[in-house]
Amino acid sequence: MQRKLMWRWILIGIVTAGAVYFMYPPDQKVKLGLDLKGGIHLVLQVNQMDAVRAEVDDAMERVRAELASKGFPPESMARLEEGDGFRFKPLANTSEKLLDKVLGDRLPDFNVTPGVEITARLKPEVKRAVQDMAVRQGLETIRNRIDQFGVAEPTIQRQGLESNRIVVQLPGVDDPGRVKELIRSTAFLEIKPVVRVAPSEEALLATTGGVVPDDSQVVPGDVEGADGRVTGREYYLVKKASVVTGRDLRNARRSQDQYNQPAVHFSLTPEGARKFGEYTAAHIGDRMAIVLDNKVRSAPSIRSRIDDSGIIEGSFTVQSAEDLALVLRAGALPASITYLEERTVGPSLGRDSIVRGIRAGLAGLALIVVFMLIYYKGAGINAVTALILNAVILIGVMSAFNATLTLPGIAGIILTIGMAVDANVLIFERIREELELGKTVRSAIDLGFQRALSAIIDSNLTTIISALFLFQFGTGPIKGFAVSLTIGLLASMFTAVFVSRAIFDLVLSRREKVTALSI
Amino acid sequence: MRIFHNTNIRFMRFKWLWLGGALAAIAASLLLLTVGPGLKLGVDFAGGTQITLKFKQEPDPSRIRKALEDLRIGTVTIQRFGDPGDRELLVRMQNPKQEEGDFAAPMVAALDKEFNKEQAAIRMNLQGAEVIANALVDADPDSIGGTVGGRQAYYRPMVDAILESRKQKGLLEGPGDLAGIAQLSAGVRTYLSQNAHFGEFSLLAADNVGPLVGKDLQKKATYAVLFSLVGMLVYIWFRFQLPYGLGAIVALAHDTIIALGALSLTGREIEIPTIAALLTLVGYSTNDTVVIFDRIRERIKLDRGKPLEAVMDLALNQTLARTVITSGLTWFVVISLFLFGGDVINTFAFVLLIGIVVGTYSSIYIATPVALLASNWIENRRALKRRR
Repeated sequence: MQRKLMWRWILIGIVTAGAVYFMYPPDQKVKLGLDLKGGIHLVLQVNQMDAVRAEVDDAMERVRAELASKGFPPESMARLEEGDGFRFKPLANTSEKLLDKVLGDRLPDFNVTPGVEITARLKPEVKRAVQDMAVRQGLETIRNRIDQFGVAEPTIQRQGLESNRIVVQLPGVDDPGRVKELIRSTAFLEIKPVVRVAPSEEALLATTGGVVPDDSQVVPGDVEGADGRVTGREYYLVKKASVVTGRDLRNARRSQDQYNQPAVHFSLTPEGARKFGEYTAAHIGDRMAIVLDNKVRSAPSIRSRIDDSGIIEGSFTVQSAEDLALVLRAGALPASITYLEERTVGPSLGRDSIVRGIRAGLAGLALIVVFMLIYYKGAGINAVTALILNAVILIGVMSAFNATLTLPGIAGIILTIGMAVDANVLIFERIREELELGKTVRSAIDLGFQRALSAIIDSNLTTIISALFLFQFGTGPIKGFAVSLTIGLLASMFTAVFVSRAIFDLVLSRREKVTALSI
Repeated sequence: MRIFHNTNIRFMRFKWLWLGGALAAIAASLLLLTVGPGLKLGVDFAGGTQITLKFKQEPDPSRIRKALEDLRIGTVTIQRFGDPGDRELLVRMQNPKQEEGDFAAPMVAALDKEFNKEQAAIRMNLQGAEVIANALVDADPDSIGGTVGGRQAYYRPMVDAILESRKQKGLLEGPGDLAGIAQLSAGVRTYLSQNAHFGEFSLLAADNVGPLVGKDLQKKATYAVLFSLVGMLVYIWFRFQLPYGLGAIVALAHDTIIALGALSLTGREIEIPTIAALLTLVGYSTNDTVVIFDRIRERIKLDRGKPLEAVMDLALNQTLARTVITSGLTWFVVISLFLFGGDVINTFAFVLLIGIVVGTYSSIYIATPVALLASNWIENRRALKRRR
């Protein structure tokens, strides 16, 4: 064998070995996409204005409390329609000095417009920061929650740097409904002092003269029978100011109450424990409401001072207690969430797709192999070898790049195999032409490869160009298609031009005088 | 063996006829797209919610409609999915008032209410392993006692085995399906047979595309198709000459329009994979054209003085075998995708099935004649200028 030819074969050997190396072990290397494995793809939007409104509400509360403590509670106070500010009317006899001090101290993040009615609007840069923070916190919270489900290889990302969208991909999820619920659950926990309880809102308001006092709010809760089943509704008048909130939680876990019913046990941070301890010590005998997402879960009476931990009871199953503990542990969402897009594929459908895809691929491949062998005889073996190597390299490269295999991706591989023979056909047809013109076998092969080359490159490049546009446009599965198409065509240029040539040369090098070629 | 060997077909002789035919086909497609049924956009682009369900018994579509009516979401379309014996249905609704949100869950809940009257705690076909296992932990049919964690460790493997079986079958039809699962204890099997609810259907897939994402995808798809057409024009212009670029782009426009016309005619829906197929078609058809142009370029150098029309005819004849073989082989592959690839990529395969035929035709009968006419036109103008 000539030296040059030997080096070419060594290169081919290295490429093949490399491809096989990257492929192995196949069950770990070939990553299946959601459409094949089953799973859920969600695009969700963090409603950033929620966080802005919360920020404004906080500021309103601060101003009100400050003025009230000095004896000048504002005459009226309301959040602006747009949500990013509020206006209020101070009492007529409030001194300028006090007002300036309160506004200066309490509202550094607001642009204040003075007047009879004072308008305070969040500074644009602060508003942007609050909105950005809402998305980042949302991302963090969702990531925490998903980590707790125990989903393998989740993807949780912000879609773009500035956007309010988060993309969540969870492969192999068997209960999409529950997952969606758990992700979206705001899980905002508050413990508030109970003022009064009544079976209906009207009855409750009757005791306060028909209006809800400024510092209080009405929250509904379920009434439970002895067996834990919900039998009705009741309404709680609770103080607006919480004793502790979810932010003071250190941990939460599922546990049992004294009747062995599932319950959720929580523990507080040192700061939370101090607040809770002081409050409970001073209010023994009073009731406090455990409010989750604006619904009273339970309203126990305080029997003794409680410092750093507590228990939430009330008609839990093991599952619902687990779920609540999970979302409490992971933290509350800073803003509500809307689902913009959902793609759920059940595992059985994905399985079916793989079986069908492989069946189609094998059928197509078999047809091509049979045709090439019959039509090009000896050279057909050459082409089939190149084709198989093409498939090996394609899968090897995809494994090396950790590309994800999707159903359209399988279609792309099958299609690539069809298109990859094109290079062989171009070359073989050209060789036949050259032979007909009376060239010797060696020079016919030379010329065939040489003259077909420009057509091969041009024609493959055009397909690759459109694959690139596709990649740019595509979502997950389609990207898989573009990737396998591109890699496959690049590999086919190598196998059809380089490998196939090396095979011809190898066959010819063993013969002294070549007068005929099986093509 | 040789096919189309030493042919001497005068492709360019009837160029006006071929071009006329193509023009007619384009006109017909455009009519279909504008005056006719137009393009049916699938959930990906139109937005909406679509769920794929597998039923135990062939369901009555009117019951599905009735159940979903109460949601007041919008028109319900019901389509068969998969093979007839599979009892799989695609149910789709428009999202109400172009609203964002999760509409798959309420749809499933409404159907659940209609078809599964009984609302047991354990739903074998709708719940996941963790929920079913924890329900068993609550009930404790084998009287394991002890801690919750211990019971979870005991019951979970059994439920995993059940779910594996659900994954294989797509739907557990009833207690009979539990008989084959060896991992189950007698107590669990009896308990589930008596207390679990198998229900009438399982959820195979759900797609919910809100209006924001739908519009986004529409825009991106249009850009992708347009830009890839322009990309092809520029590439060929750069590698060959303007007349050839024009020929290729006219052929491509023809291919794309006819493929869209075929989609309109068959009432198939445009989804993201359909766009992938259109772009692949654009690449493939150009590929075919480029091989022919490459040969024309080569022949022009060899046969100086011959009229361009004759050169083109020769080039077309010389590449004819390759054109037919490659297109034929790719077409076979696409047929196998079309026949065996399953419903999910059926429309994808359909577009290519039409596209490869049209793309092959257009390379020979449109791209080349247009390049010829454009070339001649430019030549004539130059000649005119010179005469002046």
